Amino acid sequence: MATRRDAGSELQFAVELLNRIVEGVDGIRTGVHICRGNWSKKESVHLAGDYEPLVPSLSKINVQQLVLEFATPRAGDFGVVGRALSNREIGLGVMSPKDDAPESIEYIAGKVEKALQYYKPENIFLNPDCGFGTFSGCSLTTHEAASAKMKRLVEAAKVLRERYAGGAQRKVGQAAA
Amino acid sequence: MFDVTQVGSWPRSEKLLRALEDRRKGNMTRAQFDRIADEDVRRCVAAQTEAGVDIVVDGEQRRDSFVSFVTEKLDGTKLMSMEETADDKKAFDAMLKAADVKPGTIRNPVCVGKLSRRDPLAVDEFKFVRGLTDLPVKIALPGPYLLIRTMWGPKFSKKSYPKPTDMADDVVGILRDELIQLRDAGCEFVQFDEPVLTEVVHAGKAQEGESFSRTFM
Repeated sequence: MATRRDAGSELQFAVELLNRIVEGVDGIRTGVHICRGNWSKKESVHLAGDYEPLVPSLSKINVQQLVLEFATPRAGDFGVVGRALSNREIGLGVMSPKDDAPESIEYIAGKVEKALQYYKPENIFLNPDCGFGTFSGCSLTTHEAASAKMKRLVEAAKVLRERYAGGAQRKVGQAAA
Repeated sequence: MFDVTQVGSWPRSEKLLRALEDRRKGNMTRAQFDRIADEDVRRCVAAQTEAGVDIVVDGEQRRDSFVSFVTEKLDGTKLMSMEETADDKKAFDAMLKAADVKPGTIRNPVCVGKLSRRDPLAVDEFKFVRGLTDLPVKIALPGPYLLIRTMWGPKFSKKSYPKPTDMADDVVGILRDELIQLRDAGCEFVQFDEPVLTEVVHAGKAQEGESFSRTFM
């Protein structure tokens, strides 16, 4: 609804607002979540574009974690975020809430391996791209489907912890070799 | 390492959807509503703990949406359908169809007066989940930029806030108070949702027929 100014001043305004809220508040983890829409199962109706134009602003937000979509190709290449923002935690979106079928463990592992090229394993959190029922009026899925997806995500995390317990860099290197 | 959590919201039961509607229409007290919503939060938390997640959310079960629910908690706000706030109804209907949104399903919080926190936004949500699990809890709050962008409209807000940026101090105060209160109550993680940032940089770039050019948030 709001009157639009140019993108640069809008982003600067958003960063200032967030930083004023969290300034000096210790003892709690803070994060920011960004997505491209979550009201329909149709991929084509949501926004598309990588994080590149947001990176300068995201790097100035003083929160510990950025919770970002990466399961959808609409979010672009991971390196855009990895190269610039690996000094904090990433809530890595590795599942689509718009598709009921649970992603395979290897699909999830593939997303995590890309993140491991830039992030320490302890700074990688795993989550779906967005909520499973953002708007009560147009929920994306069912309790059962969401439960199955979260079970799969936990299974994937277990596999990944075993795989990378001995050091992420070495294992990623081996996988690439 | 690789801690598993959710972004926030979870599907609501038919019973809860009916209760949300009754509550919106003023046909149900908060206490009656909470008894029904509590059941859904229990179901959502049980699904997460059975799956084995590391950080738990309450599924935003009590909320109409991740942002519109603030009208239940903030003075100076009113819940309105997107149809009520649209300037050009005909163009708006066409836009909804293109974006695959059923009419009447997305409501927004609208600023209609001076903003202040009548009740905490999510401290009660946190306390209820804390009673169900010892795992760390994440609470999602609408981000400040999202709130301002969603709530400010000239028709309804100009009297209290001539420009959107004039809402900054009040919105920052509300969210900062909430963050501190959640921390003091023992909440481990607060996530601010700022989905409209993508709209700022990506809207209007989409090819016709390929992708929609806004986020509805």
